[in-house]
Amino acid sequence: MTTLVPVTYKGGVYRHDEIMDLIDDLGGYIVQKHVMAQDVVLQSFVPRDDIELIRRIAKPLAGEVVEAPLVGTEIAVVSPSLEIHHLPHISCDIAEYLRRSGAKTNMVGLARGFGKRIANLNDEERDVINEHDLAVYALGNFEECIRKKFPAIRREIDVPIVVTGAPDREALMRVIDPPVEGYVGGIGRIMHRFKRPEELGKLDELVDEVSRVLDARRDALAKDPLSVFPPRLMAIIEEQIHEVSMLTHPTPVTAQMEGLRVKLPYDSYADDVRSLPVAEGVTVGDIADVTPSRMRNYILIRIKPFSETRILV
Amino acid sequence: MPPLNYFVVESPDEVGRVAYERVAGDVLQDLDLIKVIDRLHIYVDPKVPIFVAAGLLRHMPREIRVADFANVNRGEKEVVLDISDETYLAPLLQKLWVIYGKEHVDQPDRFTIVLPAGMAGDENLDRLVVADPSETLYKDVIYALQYIAPEGFKVRRQYIREGKFYYVASEDTLPTDIVETAVVPLFEKMGVTL
Repeated sequence: MTTLVPVTYKGGVYRHDEIMDLIDDLGGYIVQKHVMAQDVVLQSFVPRDDIELIRRIAKPLAGEVVEAPLVGTEIAVVSPSLEIHHLPHISCDIAEYLRRSGAKTNMVGLARGFGKRIANLNDEERDVINEHDLAVYALGNFEECIRKKFPAIRREIDVPIVVTGAPDREALMRVIDPPVEGYVGGIGRIMHRFKRPEELGKLDELVDEVSRVLDARRDALAKDPLSVFPPRLMAIIEEQIHEVSMLTHPTPVTAQMEGLRVKLPYDSYADDVRSLPVAEGVTVGDIADVTPSRMRNYILIRIKPFSETRILV
Repeated sequence: MPPLNYFVVESPDEVGRVAYERVAGDVLQDLDLIKVIDRLHIYVDPKVPIFVAAGLLRHMPREIRVADFANVNRGEKEVVLDISDETYLAPLLQKLWVIYGKEHVDQPDRFTIVLPAGMAGDENLDRLVVADPSETLYKDVIYALQYIAPEGFKVRRQYIREGKFYYVASEDTLPTDIVETAVVPLFEKMGVTL
Protein backbone atom coordinates (compact mmCIF):
# COMPACT_ATOMS: atom_id res chain seq x y z
CA MET A 1 0.00 0.00 0.00
CA THR A 2 1.35 3.40 -0.91
CA THR A 3 1.75 5.86 1.90
CA LEU A 4 0.14 9.20 1.33
CA VAL A 5 2.07 12.16 2.70
CA PRO A 6 0.68 15.63 3.31
CA VAL A 7 2.22 18.27 1.04
CA THR A 8 1.52 21.82 -0.04
CA TYR A 9 1.86 22.80 -3.66
CA LYS A 10 2.46 26.48 -4.34
CA GLY A 11 2.45 27.80 -7.85
CA GLY A 12 0.77 30.03 -10.38
CA VAL A 13 -2.78 29.80 -11.67
CA TYR A 14 -1.48 29.06 -15.17
CA ARG A 15 -1.82 25.33 -15.94
CA HIS A 16 -2.39 24.46 -12.29
CA ASP A 17 -5.22 22.19 -13.40
CA GLU A 18 -2.56 19.89 -14.83
CA ILE A 19 -1.08 19.51 -11.36
CA MET A 20 -4.54 18.83 -9.94
CA ASP A 21 -5.13 16.15 -12.56
CA LEU A 22 -1.70 14.69 -11.89
CA ILE A 23 -2.35 14.41 -8.15
CA ASP A 24 -5.68 12.82 -8.92
CA ASP A 25 -4.14 10.35 -11.38
CA LEU A 26 -1.43 9.37 -8.92
CA GLY A 27 -4.13 8.47 -6.42
CA GLY A 28 -3.66 11.51 -4.22
CA TYR A 29 -6.28 13.82 -2.81
CA ILE A 30 -6.62 17.59 -2.79
CA VAL A 31 -7.95 18.69 0.56
CA GLN A 32 -7.97 22.43 0.06
CA LYS A 33 -7.46 24.73 -2.88
CA HIS A 34 -6.78 28.43 -2.46
CA VAL A 35 -6.59 30.76 -5.40
CA MET A 36 -5.15 34.12 -4.42
CA ALA A 37 -4.80 36.48 -7.38
CA GLN A 38 -2.12 34.83 -9.52
CA ASP A 39 -1.18 32.17 -6.97
CA VAL A 40 -2.58 28.78 -6.18
CA VAL A 41 -2.00 26.79 -3.01
CA LEU A 42 -3.06 23.16 -2.98
CA GLN A 43 -3.10 21.29 0.30
CA SER A 44 -2.96 17.68 -0.68
CA PHE A 45 -2.06 14.10 0.11
CA VAL A 46 0.19 12.45 -2.46
CA PRO A 47 2.01 9.09 -2.61
CA ARG A 48 5.47 9.46 -1.08
CA ASP A 49 7.23 7.93 -4.10
CA ASP A 50 5.63 10.40 -6.50
CA ILE A 51 6.66 13.66 -4.84
CA GLU A 52 9.72 13.87 -7.06
CA LEU A 53 7.56 13.35 -10.15
CA ILE A 54 5.25 16.19 -9.15
CA ARG A 55 8.29 18.38 -8.48
CA ARG A 56 9.65 17.60 -11.91
CA ILE A 57 6.38 18.34 -13.68
CA ALA A 58 5.80 21.48 -11.62
CA LYS A 59 9.27 22.87 -12.33
CA PRO A 60 8.49 24.54 -15.69
CA LEU A 61 5.39 26.05 -14.04
CA ALA A 62 7.52 27.52 -11.21
CA GLY A 63 5.58 25.47 -8.72
CA GLU A 64 7.07 24.11 -5.54
CA VAL A 65 6.13 21.16 -3.40
CA VAL A 66 6.83 21.29 0.32
CA GLU A 67 5.97 18.88 3.10
CA ALA A 68 3.19 20.28 5.24
CA PRO A 69 2.72 18.20 8.39
CA LEU A 70 -0.68 19.60 9.30
CA VAL A 71 -2.61 19.03 6.06
CA GLY A 72 -5.91 17.29 6.68
CA THR A 73 -6.28 18.45 10.26
CA GLU A 74 -8.70 20.89 11.79
CA ILE A 75 -7.31 22.80 14.74
CA ALA A 76 -9.11 25.06 17.22
CA VAL A 77 -7.18 28.10 18.39
CA VAL A 78 -8.78 28.90 21.72
CA SER A 79 -8.51 32.44 22.98
CA PRO A 80 -9.82 33.45 26.42
CA SER A 81 -11.97 36.12 24.78
CA LEU A 82 -12.31 38.07 21.57
CA GLU A 83 -11.22 41.31 23.25
CA ILE A 84 -8.40 43.50 21.99
CA HIS A 85 -6.17 41.92 24.68
CA HIS A 86 -5.94 38.70 22.67
CA LEU A 87 -6.70 39.74 19.12
CA PRO A 88 -5.47 40.31 16.49
CA HIS A 89 -2.01 39.36 17.71
CA ILE A 90 -1.19 36.03 19.32
CA SER A 91 -4.42 34.26 18.40
CA CYS A 92 -4.49 35.35 14.77
CA ASP A 93 -0.73 35.04 14.36
CA ILE A 94 -0.83 31.51 15.74
CA ALA A 95 -3.80 30.58 13.56
CA GLU A 96 -2.15 32.00 10.47
CA TYR A 97 1.09 30.17 11.12
CA LEU A 98 -0.71 26.86 11.59
CA ARG A 99 -2.59 27.46 8.35
CA ARG A 100 0.72 27.92 6.54
CA SER A 101 1.64 24.41 7.60
CA GLY A 102 -1.55 23.13 6.04
CA ALA A 103 -3.99 23.01 8.95
CA LYS A 104 -7.52 24.31 8.77
CA THR A 105 -7.83 26.50 11.84
CA ASN A 106 -10.88 27.84 13.58
CA MET A 107 -10.71 30.55 16.18
CA VAL A 108 -12.72 29.85 19.30
CA GLY A 109 -13.16 32.98 21.40
CA LEU A 110 -14.58 32.02 24.76
CA ALA A 111 -17.42 34.10 26.15
CA ARG A 112 -16.04 34.11 29.69
CA GLY A 113 -12.56 32.68 29.37
CA PHE A 114 -10.76 35.70 30.81
CA GLY A 115 -9.72 36.19 34.41
CA LYS A 116 -8.29 33.83 36.95
CA ARG A 117 -11.11 33.07 39.37
CA ILE A 118 -13.93 33.95 36.97
CA ALA A 119 -12.84 31.96 33.89
CA ASN A 120 -15.47 29.61 32.50
CA LEU A 121 -16.24 27.35 29.57
CA ASN A 122 -19.81 26.77 28.43
CA ASP A 123 -21.25 23.63 26.88
CA GLU A 124 -21.33 25.02 23.35
CA GLU A 125 -17.69 26.05 23.48
CA ARG A 126 -16.74 22.67 24.93
CA ASP A 127 -18.59 20.77 22.18
CA VAL A 128 -17.19 22.96 19.41
CA ILE A 129 -13.62 22.47 20.66
CA ASN A 130 -14.19 18.73 20.95
CA GLU A 131 -15.13 18.59 17.26
CA HIS A 132 -11.55 19.44 16.30
CA ASP A 133 -8.43 17.30 16.01
CA LEU A 134 -6.52 19.43 18.48
CA ALA A 135 -6.93 22.60 20.51
CA VAL A 136 -4.23 25.25 20.94
CA TYR A 137 -4.88 27.33 24.06
CA ALA A 138 -3.28 30.77 23.77
CA LEU A 139 -2.88 31.81 27.40
CA GLY A 140 -1.27 34.80 29.07
CA ASN A 141 1.72 36.03 31.01
CA PHE A 142 1.35 34.93 34.61
CA GLU A 143 2.12 31.45 35.88
CA GLU A 144 -0.33 31.93 38.74
CA CYS A 145 -3.19 32.81 36.39
CA ILE A 146 -2.54 29.85 34.11
CA ARG A 147 -2.45 27.51 37.09
CA LYS A 148 -5.76 28.79 38.43
CA LYS A 149 -7.75 29.28 35.26
CA PHE A 150 -6.66 26.44 33.04
CA PRO A 151 -8.58 23.67 34.84
CA ALA A 152 -11.78 25.66 34.27
CA ILE A 153 -11.31 26.21 30.56
CA ARG A 154 -10.17 22.66 29.79
CA ARG A 155 -13.02 20.94 31.61
CA GLU A 156 -14.32 17.96 29.61
CA ILE A 157 -12.14 18.73 26.60
CA ASP A 158 -11.12 15.33 25.28
CA VAL A 159 -9.09 16.33 22.23
CA PRO A 160 -5.31 16.78 22.59
CA ILE A 161 -4.36 20.23 23.93
CA VAL A 162 -1.27 22.34 23.27
CA VAL A 163 -0.86 25.25 25.69
CA THR A 164 1.06 28.44 25.01
CA GLY A 165 1.95 31.00 27.65
CA ALA A 166 4.70 33.41 28.67
CA PRO A 167 6.28 31.15 31.36
CA ASP A 168 8.84 28.75 29.95
CA ARG A 169 7.98 25.20 29.01
CA GLU A 170 9.13 23.73 32.34
CA ALA A 171 7.03 26.21 34.29
CA LEU A 172 3.99 25.41 32.19
CA MET A 173 4.54 21.69 32.74
CA ARG A 174 4.79 22.32 36.46
CA VAL A 175 1.59 24.35 36.82
CA ILE A 176 -0.66 22.35 34.51
CA ASP A 177 -2.11 19.34 36.23
CA PRO A 178 -3.16 16.86 34.87
CA PRO A 179 -0.64 17.25 32.07
CA VAL A 180 -1.68 18.14 28.53
CA GLU A 181 -0.15 16.84 25.31
CA GLY A 182 1.99 19.83 24.37
CA TYR A 183 3.53 22.98 25.82
CA VAL A 184 5.14 26.02 24.20
CA GLY A 185 6.58 28.61 26.55
CA GLY A 186 7.50 32.18 25.72
CA ILE A 187 4.32 33.05 23.82
CA GLY A 188 2.21 35.07 26.22
CA ARG A 189 0.08 38.13 25.74
CA ILE A 190 1.96 39.99 23.03
CA MET A 191 0.56 43.24 21.70
CA HIS A 192 2.46 43.38 18.44
CA ARG A 193 2.75 41.25 15.36
CA PHE A 194 5.13 38.30 15.56
CA LYS A 195 8.00 39.45 13.38
CA ARG A 196 11.28 39.14 15.24
CA PRO A 197 13.31 36.01 14.49
CA GLU A 198 12.93 34.72 18.07
CA GLU A 199 9.16 35.22 17.93
CA LEU A 200 8.89 33.41 14.62
CA GLY A 201 11.12 30.72 16.10
CA LYS A 202 8.51 30.26 18.82
CA LEU A 203 5.79 29.81 16.21
CA ASP A 204 7.95 27.18 14.47
CA GLU A 205 8.30 25.49 17.83
CA LEU A 206 4.51 25.53 18.17
CA VAL A 207 4.06 23.93 14.74
CA ASP A 208 6.61 21.24 15.70
CA GLU A 209 4.82 20.60 18.97
CA VAL A 210 1.42 20.38 17.25
CA SER A 211 2.79 18.02 14.58
CA ARG A 212 4.43 15.88 17.25
CA VAL A 213 1.11 15.53 19.10
CA LEU A 214 -0.80 14.80 15.89
CA ASP A 215 1.82 12.30 14.72
CA ALA A 216 1.35 10.41 17.95
CA ARG A 217 -2.37 10.34 17.21
CA ARG A 218 -1.68 9.19 13.62
CA ASP A 219 0.50 6.37 14.94
CA ALA A 220 -2.30 5.28 17.22
CA LEU A 221 -4.72 5.40 14.31
CA ALA A 222 -2.40 3.32 12.15
CA LYS A 223 -2.80 0.43 14.61
CA ASP A 224 -6.56 0.41 14.07
CA PRO A 225 -7.11 2.19 10.76
CA LEU A 226 -10.26 4.07 9.88
CA SER A 227 -12.74 2.35 7.59
CA VAL A 228 -12.06 4.99 4.95
CA PHE A 229 -9.36 7.65 4.59
CA PRO A 230 -11.13 10.99 5.30
CA PRO A 231 -9.85 12.76 2.14
CA ARG A 232 -11.17 9.85 0.11
CA LEU A 233 -14.61 10.20 1.63
CA MET A 234 -14.31 13.93 1.04
CA ALA A 235 -13.69 13.33 -2.67
CA ILE A 236 -16.71 11.01 -2.84
CA ILE A 237 -18.98 13.55 -1.14
CA GLU A 238 -17.78 16.37 -3.37
CA GLU A 239 -18.42 14.24 -6.42
CA GLN A 240 -21.81 12.87 -5.45
CA ILE A 241 -23.51 15.73 -3.62
CA HIS A 242 -23.39 18.54 -6.12
CA GLU A 243 -24.78 21.14 -3.67
CA VAL A 244 -21.34 21.13 -2.04
CA SER A 245 -19.90 22.86 -5.08
CA MET A 246 -22.38 25.70 -4.64
CA LEU A 247 -21.29 26.53 -1.10
CA THR A 248 -19.28 29.70 -0.74
CA HIS A 249 -17.23 28.51 2.25
CA PRO A 250 -13.48 28.36 1.67
CA THR A 251 -13.60 24.70 2.65
CA PRO A 252 -17.14 23.40 2.02
CA VAL A 253 -16.02 19.98 3.19
CA THR A 254 -13.30 20.14 5.82
CA ALA A 255 -11.05 17.15 6.28
CA GLN A 256 -10.16 16.10 9.78
CA MET A 257 -7.96 13.28 10.96
CA GLU A 258 -10.86 11.06 11.85
CA GLY A 259 -13.75 12.53 9.96
CA LEU A 260 -15.18 15.37 7.98
CA ARG A 261 -17.23 18.46 8.52
CA VAL A 262 -19.72 19.01 5.71
CA LYS A 263 -21.05 22.54 5.59
CA LEU A 264 -24.56 21.63 4.51
CA PRO A 265 -27.62 21.87 6.77
CA TYR A 266 -27.95 18.69 8.82
CA ASP A 267 -31.73 18.45 8.69
CA SER A 268 -31.95 18.50 4.90
CA TYR A 269 -28.85 16.56 3.97
CA ALA A 270 -28.00 14.08 6.74
CA ASP A 271 -30.00 11.25 5.17
CA ASP A 272 -28.49 11.88 1.73
CA VAL A 273 -25.02 11.71 3.25
CA ARG A 274 -25.81 8.53 5.20
CA SER A 275 -27.12 6.70 2.16
CA LEU A 276 -24.26 7.77 -0.09
CA PRO A 277 -22.48 4.73 -1.56
CA VAL A 278 -18.74 4.64 -0.79
CA ALA A 279 -18.01 1.33 -2.46
CA GLU A 280 -20.15 -1.52 -3.67
CA GLY A 281 -22.69 -2.34 -0.98
CA VAL A 282 -21.18 0.07 1.52
CA THR A 283 -22.76 3.40 2.38
CA VAL A 284 -21.43 6.25 4.49
CA GLY A 285 -23.89 5.27 7.21
CA ASP A 286 -22.22 1.84 7.48
CA ILE A 287 -18.76 3.16 8.16
CA ALA A 288 -19.34 6.47 9.90
CA ASP A 289 -21.54 8.31 12.37
CA VAL A 290 -23.28 11.23 10.70
CA THR A 291 -24.09 13.66 13.48
CA PRO A 292 -25.17 17.27 13.76
CA SER A 293 -22.28 19.63 14.44
CA ARG A 294 -22.42 22.25 17.18
CA MET A 295 -20.90 24.62 14.69
CA ARG A 296 -23.89 26.30 12.98
CA ASN A 297 -26.11 23.64 11.36
CA TYR A 298 -23.32 21.68 9.75
CA ILE A 299 -22.93 17.93 9.48
CA LEU A 300 -20.11 16.20 11.34
CA ILE A 301 -19.00 12.81 10.07
CA ARG A 302 -16.98 10.62 12.41
CA ILE A 303 -15.47 7.66 10.60
CA LYS A 304 -15.52 4.43 12.58
CA PRO A 305 -12.37 2.31 12.88
CA PHE A 306 -11.90 -1.00 11.07
CA SER A 307 -12.19 -2.95 14.31
CA GLU A 308 -15.77 -1.76 14.66
CA THR A 309 -17.04 -2.07 11.08
CA ARG A 310 -14.81 -4.80 9.64
CA ILE A 311 -14.90 -2.78 6.42
CA LEU A 312 -11.91 -1.13 4.82
CA VAL A 313 -12.63 0.93 1.73
CA MET B 1 11.40 51.07 24.77
CA PRO B 2 9.33 54.20 25.15
CA PRO B 3 11.31 57.37 25.89
CA LEU B 4 9.38 58.15 29.07
CA ASN B 5 11.29 59.95 31.78
CA TYR B 6 10.37 57.22 34.22
CA PHE B 7 8.97 53.82 33.34
CA VAL B 8 8.88 50.99 35.86
CA VAL B 9 6.92 47.76 35.91
CA GLU B 10 6.95 45.87 39.19
CA SER B 11 5.67 42.36 39.77
CA PRO B 12 6.56 39.40 41.97
CA ASP B 13 6.47 37.24 38.82
CA GLU B 14 9.61 38.07 36.84
CA VAL B 15 8.43 36.53 33.55
CA GLY B 16 5.16 38.43 33.83
CA ARG B 17 7.01 41.64 34.69
CA VAL B 18 9.11 41.50 31.54
CA ALA B 19 6.05 40.61 29.46
CA TYR B 20 4.07 43.53 30.89
CA GLU B 21 6.91 45.93 30.22
CA ARG B 22 6.65 44.95 26.58
CA VAL B 23 2.84 45.04 26.59
CA ALA B 24 2.80 48.55 28.09
CA GLY B 25 5.44 49.77 25.63
CA ASP B 26 3.55 48.36 22.66
CA VAL B 27 0.21 49.77 23.74
CA LEU B 28 1.57 53.26 24.41
CA GLN B 29 3.32 53.19 21.07
CA ASP B 30 0.23 51.96 19.23
CA LEU B 31 -2.01 54.61 20.74
CA ASP B 32 0.59 57.31 20.21
CA LEU B 33 0.75 58.21 23.89
CA ILE B 34 4.50 58.12 24.40
CA LYS B 35 4.80 61.84 23.87
CA VAL B 36 1.90 62.50 26.20
CA ILE B 37 2.91 60.42 29.22
CA ASP B 38 5.89 61.63 31.23
CA ARG B 39 6.15 59.05 34.00
CA LEU B 40 4.48 55.71 34.49
CA HIS B 41 4.73 53.14 37.27
CA ILE B 42 2.88 49.86 37.03
CA TYR B 43 2.50 47.29 39.77
CA VAL B 44 0.81 44.01 39.02
CA ASP B 45 0.39 41.03 41.31
CA PRO B 46 -1.87 38.23 40.06
CA LYS B 47 -1.88 36.56 43.47
CA VAL B 48 -3.70 39.41 45.26
CA PRO B 49 -5.02 40.05 42.47
CA ILE B 50 -4.28 43.70 41.74
CA PHE B 51 -3.13 45.93 38.90
CA VAL B 52 -2.10 49.49 39.72
CA ALA B 53 -0.81 52.06 37.26
CA ALA B 54 0.08 55.59 38.28
CA GLY B 55 1.65 58.30 36.23
CA LEU B 56 2.04 61.88 35.15
CA LEU B 57 1.13 63.50 31.89
CA ARG B 58 3.49 65.76 30.03
CA HIS B 59 2.16 69.12 28.81
CA MET B 60 -1.32 68.89 27.38
CA PRO B 61 -1.58 69.23 23.61
CA ARG B 62 -2.83 72.68 22.59
CA GLU B 63 -5.98 73.47 20.67
CA ILE B 64 -5.89 73.08 16.90
CA ARG B 65 -6.71 76.29 15.04
CA VAL B 66 -7.35 76.94 11.36
CA ALA B 67 -3.94 78.55 10.87
CA ASP B 68 -2.27 75.29 12.01
CA PHE B 69 -3.27 73.34 8.96
CA ALA B 70 -4.57 75.81 6.36
CA ASN B 71 -3.60 79.02 4.61
CA VAL B 72 -6.22 81.73 4.63
CA ASN B 73 -6.06 83.75 1.40
CA ARG B 74 -8.31 86.77 1.49
CA GLY B 75 -9.59 88.10 -1.82
CA GLU B 76 -12.00 90.91 -2.52
CA LYS B 77 -15.07 88.76 -2.98
CA GLU B 78 -14.05 85.51 -1.39
CA VAL B 79 -11.78 83.92 1.18
CA VAL B 80 -9.96 80.81 -0.01
CA LEU B 81 -8.72 78.27 2.52
CA ASP B 82 -5.87 76.18 1.25
CA ILE B 83 -5.80 72.99 3.35
CA SER B 84 -2.41 71.37 3.84
CA ASP B 85 -3.43 68.59 6.25
CA GLU B 86 -6.79 66.87 5.98
CA THR B 87 -6.85 65.44 9.52
CA TYR B 88 -9.12 68.14 10.90
CA LEU B 89 -11.03 68.91 7.72
CA ALA B 90 -14.29 67.30 8.86
CA PRO B 91 -14.58 69.25 12.14
CA LEU B 92 -13.56 72.43 10.28
CA LEU B 93 -16.38 72.01 7.77
CA GLN B 94 -18.85 71.43 10.61
CA LYS B 95 -17.77 74.70 12.22
CA LEU B 96 -17.88 76.63 8.95
CA TRP B 97 -21.36 75.36 8.15
CA VAL B 98 -22.57 76.70 11.48
CA ILE B 99 -20.92 80.08 11.00
CA TYR B 100 -21.52 80.70 7.28
CA GLY B 101 -24.41 78.41 6.46
CA LYS B 102 -24.00 75.31 4.30
CA GLU B 103 -24.88 77.09 1.02
CA HIS B 104 -22.02 79.58 1.46
CA VAL B 105 -19.29 77.02 2.12
CA ASP B 106 -18.03 75.80 -1.21
CA GLN B 107 -15.49 73.00 -1.49
CA PRO B 108 -14.40 72.64 -5.13
CA ASP B 109 -11.84 69.99 -4.23
CA ARG B 110 -10.49 68.16 -1.20
CA PHE B 111 -7.88 70.77 -0.36
CA THR B 112 -9.78 73.99 -1.05
CA ILE B 113 -12.64 75.72 0.73
CA VAL B 114 -14.12 78.91 -0.66
CA LEU B 115 -16.04 81.26 1.63
CA PRO B 116 -17.74 84.59 0.87
CA ALA B 117 -15.69 87.61 2.00
CA GLY B 118 -16.89 90.26 4.38
CA MET B 119 -19.09 88.15 6.60
CA ALA B 120 -19.08 88.24 10.37
CA GLY B 121 -16.25 86.31 12.00
CA ASP B 122 -14.03 86.72 8.96
CA GLU B 123 -11.19 88.50 10.70
CA ASN B 124 -10.74 85.78 13.31
CA LEU B 125 -10.85 82.91 10.86
CA ASP B 126 -7.17 82.04 11.37
CA ARG B 127 -7.69 81.77 15.11
CA LEU B 128 -10.87 79.66 14.91
CA VAL B 129 -10.54 76.64 17.20
CA VAL B 130 -11.27 73.50 15.21
CA ALA B 131 -10.50 70.72 17.66
CA ASP B 132 -9.16 70.18 21.13
CA PRO B 133 -7.11 66.97 21.34
CA SER B 134 -7.02 67.10 25.13
CA GLU B 135 -10.75 66.33 25.16
CA THR B 136 -10.10 62.83 23.90
CA LEU B 137 -6.71 62.47 25.53
CA TYR B 138 -8.16 61.53 28.91
CA LYS B 139 -10.22 58.83 27.30
CA ASP B 140 -7.18 57.61 25.37
CA VAL B 141 -5.04 57.32 28.49
CA ILE B 142 -7.69 55.40 30.41
CA TYR B 143 -8.33 53.20 27.38
CA ALA B 144 -4.62 52.45 27.12
CA LEU B 145 -4.49 51.37 30.76
CA GLN B 146 -7.59 49.25 30.36
CA TYR B 147 -5.86 47.65 27.39
CA ILE B 148 -2.60 47.06 29.31
CA ALA B 149 -4.27 45.64 32.44
CA PRO B 150 -5.05 41.91 32.55
CA GLU B 151 -8.40 41.35 30.89
CA GLY B 152 -10.08 39.61 33.79
CA PHE B 153 -9.53 42.58 36.08
CA LYS B 154 -12.94 44.10 35.52
CA VAL B 155 -13.44 45.91 38.83
CA ARG B 156 -11.63 49.19 38.51
CA ARG B 157 -11.15 52.68 39.79
CA GLN B 158 -9.68 55.38 37.62
CA TYR B 159 -8.66 59.00 38.01
CA ILE B 160 -7.19 61.61 35.71
CA ARG B 161 -6.91 65.25 36.74
CA GLU B 162 -4.33 68.02 36.59
CA GLY B 163 -1.74 65.96 34.83
CA LYS B 164 -1.90 63.01 37.24
CA PHE B 165 -3.64 59.76 36.61
CA TYR B 166 -4.08 56.39 38.21
CA TYR B 167 -5.88 53.19 37.35
CA VAL B 168 -6.49 50.38 39.82
CA ALA B 169 -8.10 47.14 38.73
CA SER B 170 -8.80 43.75 40.22
CA GLU B 171 -10.85 40.66 39.70
CA ASP B 172 -12.30 41.00 43.21
CA THR B 173 -13.95 43.92 44.97
CA LEU B 174 -11.48 46.72 45.61
CA PRO B 175 -11.03 47.69 49.27
CA THR B 176 -12.18 51.26 50.06
CA ASP B 177 -8.70 52.37 51.06
CA ILE B 178 -7.00 51.01 47.95
CA VAL B 179 -5.91 54.46 46.78
CA GLU B 180 -4.13 55.18 50.08
CA THR B 181 -2.53 51.75 50.33
CA ALA B 182 -1.62 51.02 46.71
CA VAL B 183 -1.65 54.20 44.63
CA VAL B 184 -0.11 56.81 46.98
CA PRO B 185 3.10 54.76 47.46
CA LEU B 186 3.59 54.55 43.68
CA PHE B 187 3.32 58.32 43.35
CA GLU B 188 5.81 58.65 46.20
CA LYS B 189 8.26 56.47 44.30
CA MET B 190 7.98 58.89 41.40
CA GLY B 191 8.57 61.78 43.80
CA VAL B 192 5.09 63.22 43.54
CA THR B 193 2.22 63.53 45.98
CA LEU B 194 -1.27 62.77 44.78
